[in-house]
Amino acid sequence: MKSPDRLTLAHLWVAFAAFAVACFFGVWQMWARSPLAAPFFTPEHYFISVTAHGVSMAFVLTTFFIMGFGYFTAESALERPLPGKSWAWLAFLLGILGTVMAVVTILSGRATVLYTFYPPLTASPFFYIGLVLVVVASWIWCVLMLVAMARWKHANPGRPVPLAMFATVANAVMWLWTTVGVASELLLIVIPAAFGWRETVDVGLTRTLFSWTLHAIVYFWLFPAYIAFYTMVPKAAGGRLYSDLMGRLSFVLFLLYSLPVGMHHLFMDPEHSTGFKFLQMMLTVLVTVPTLLTVFTIAASLEIAGRLRGGRGLFGWLRTLPYDRPMVLATALAFVMLFFGGGGGLVNMSYGLNALVHNTSWVTAHFHLIFGGTVVIMYFAIAYAIWPRLTGRQPESLGLQRLQLWLWFIGMMVMTLPWHWLGLQGQWRRVAQFDYANPIIAAWGPWVVLSLAGGLLLLASALLFVWNLASYHRGATQAAAPFRFALAVHMPERVPAMLNGFGVWNMLVLVLMLAAYGWPLAQFAVLSPPQAIVHHVGQGG
Amino acid sequence: MATDLAGSEQAWRRWSAAAVVLVVLVAALLGFVVLPVLQSRSTGLDPFTAICRALGLQAGTPAARQPVNQAKAQPVSQVAWTEEVIDRLHQPNVAVGDETANVCAGCHGERGISASPQFPNMAGQSAFAIYKQLNDYKSGARANDLMAGIAQALTEDQMIAVAEHFAALTRGTLDPQAAGVDDPDIVLLAADGDPARGLPACAACHGTRAGGPIETPTLAGQREEYLLAQLEAYAKGERHNDVYARMRGVAGKLKPDEMARIARYYAGLR
Repeated sequence: MKSPDRLTLAHLWVAFAAFAVACFFGVWQMWARSPLAAPFFTPEHYFISVTAHGVSMAFVLTTFFIMGFGYFTAESALERPLPGKSWAWLAFLLGILGTVMAVVTILSGRATVLYTFYPPLTASPFFYIGLVLVVVASWIWCVLMLVAMARWKHANPGRPVPLAMFATVANAVMWLWTTVGVASELLLIVIPAAFGWRETVDVGLTRTLFSWTLHAIVYFWLFPAYIAFYTMVPKAAGGRLYSDLMGRLSFVLFLLYSLPVGMHHLFMDPEHSTGFKFLQMMLTVLVTVPTLLTVFTIAASLEIAGRLRGGRGLFGWLRTLPYDRPMVLATALAFVMLFFGGGGGLVNMSYGLNALVHNTSWVTAHFHLIFGGTVVIMYFAIAYAIWPRLTGRQPESLGLQRLQLWLWFIGMMVMTLPWHWLGLQGQWRRVAQFDYANPIIAAWGPWVVLSLAGGLLLLASALLFVWNLASYHRGATQAAAPFRFALAVHMPERVPAMLNGFGVWNMLVLVLMLAAYGWPLAQFAVLSPPQAIVHHVGQGG
Repeated sequence: MATDLAGSEQAWRRWSAAAVVLVVLVAALLGFVVLPVLQSRSTGLDPFTAICRALGLQAGTPAARQPVNQAKAQPVSQVAWTEEVIDRLHQPNVAVGDETANVCAGCHGERGISASPQFPNMAGQSAFAIYKQLNDYKSGARANDLMAGIAQALTEDQMIAVAEHFAALTRGTLDPQAAGVDDPDIVLLAADGDPARGLPACAACHGTRAGGPIETPTLAGQREEYLLAQLEAYAKGERHNDVYARMRGVAGKLKPDEMARIARYYAGLR
């Protein structure tokens, strides 16, 4: 096994180990909130579990997966050795150290603040420092991705950067912008408060800084799924990508419009004016554009593949697609979940409608369907696609891979559709238990039990996924062929410089961020609003 | 060809920048001008005020009328937990504290254990809890003939010093360990509250590791008579220095026998 393969495998195994453990926490949480008596239940255990689940899924699974997949893409798409391998391993170790620090503080009950923090509630400083180390590891990854692309461009002047790498670097650039918000919040405000160096924090300011990160971080997680849509799915389906340029444009639009929109998480907050909330809502509307472009382009690419396989008529090509291949099956299921999750998202981002679903299970359902559904099912498909290349072995059974994907899809739908329904009825999120003695709440019971059943399917699927990956390591060996990404119908010979780099787009991101966050952040310095007293969790009232 | 390419590069830059700026301008025009001005028509605000509100330069929303009543709300307490007050409570003048405590010792005991059941123990209370009550006695937010006179004679420095004196003297002496009273219903009420009556758990604020306001007093080991008197005073509204009427809301929902049993339960906790 070559060293970059070990690097990728190490990252992906850490990601999926965290994922599998987090699934157990998730199921227990639904059990705790259901009318059925859950073992080990106390509200404090519930919030330990929610924090562990959120941190594992949102920080560990995603960051390690994206880093590992990025290293793989840089080598495979650029067909050059990865620069700075020792830096990559250093970043991996930093990430592991940070994860261990966070996990220890969470499990010891000193960090029940969820992965979204909620100052003035303040955890042990080592929780935040652990997470900062994970972010620092990802920053090293970002620099390595930028260096890899720059060196390739230097060696191939004028040629378009392969789409998979262009997208990976777009994600790295976006992530560098994204983390400015949370890093400022942690380093300047929360960690000093956690150490007791400051007694009060401005909650409006910390929430605003976190909102800077909170939406773009979701696109950071989403990028690998879209990279798979554009550069793996068309080939897996037996066709070609409909348009390479459309892919570049979509990734650039994600970079632009995932950042100046985070205030749609603060529609109900008092610290910002209506005008800025409206402005950011309008920009949020635009972030749907790259997704719609992607759905169009990938549907067109699949149509090409379906017709090449003998599909006729308006929709006949849908029937002839090779759904027995995990990548194609996962894409079809991902699109169904994207339809429901995306529709829910349009409700959330509407300034007026948001008030109806704010802080209810509707929101939890939305992000589980989009991230846990559409995105994570594509993580599975990516893993199934690159594992033969990483291990040099054949899969033991494609049938088990298909079963795992179906289980995940059905489990996610069964879990999240009742959550949407309960959210509309006002079921709160972030609470440990419900009083089912109350007749109104009692009516929720059957739906909560149904979603718990969905959660059990998800857990079964997660364990089967780990089993499927592990079985590769004992499958029949094959000659390691280089991994090939999908080709476009018209492979571009040259592309405009703006679709081959990020210089001008960075300037435009700066313009958008100044417009969207300039005064909303500056007001905290100008108006000196009241502060909230820091409350340390797990250290006595 | 080279010129074409250069021309197209320039066009890309120009049009993408123009598109982004146009989007921001349209959204800003709608959010900062058109909508607030339209909203101001139904709320009776003048357009300039509405725009200032939409920009966040003035408080309030252009979509709602602000109350026209100029009457000032009377805060239930004058204590504001600013960084300055908290810092001062962390740096008390020990000598002043020791000297001032002599005044208190007659009723509350030298080591914070009171001489008579009607007076509360100071033992186990935080400096924040003691300072808040002293300040409220002084300002009149909490009415008590005896304490009002004493607190009004104290300076700000003396209140801070004496609060920290008792807090430091007795820190950790009264951590609740085990209940001395066997009353399962009340243990449940204190731990979980009663959602059917909208009663929060006592322990949600008063428990160790709880998330209540910083001035929340310790109940464990407090005098039974004193606790009961306070619950009754809150229930009748005679005591009203609880911010957001938290305790008046709770006590008003308790039955008289529950108040007595809660007081007995907490007094028995050691």
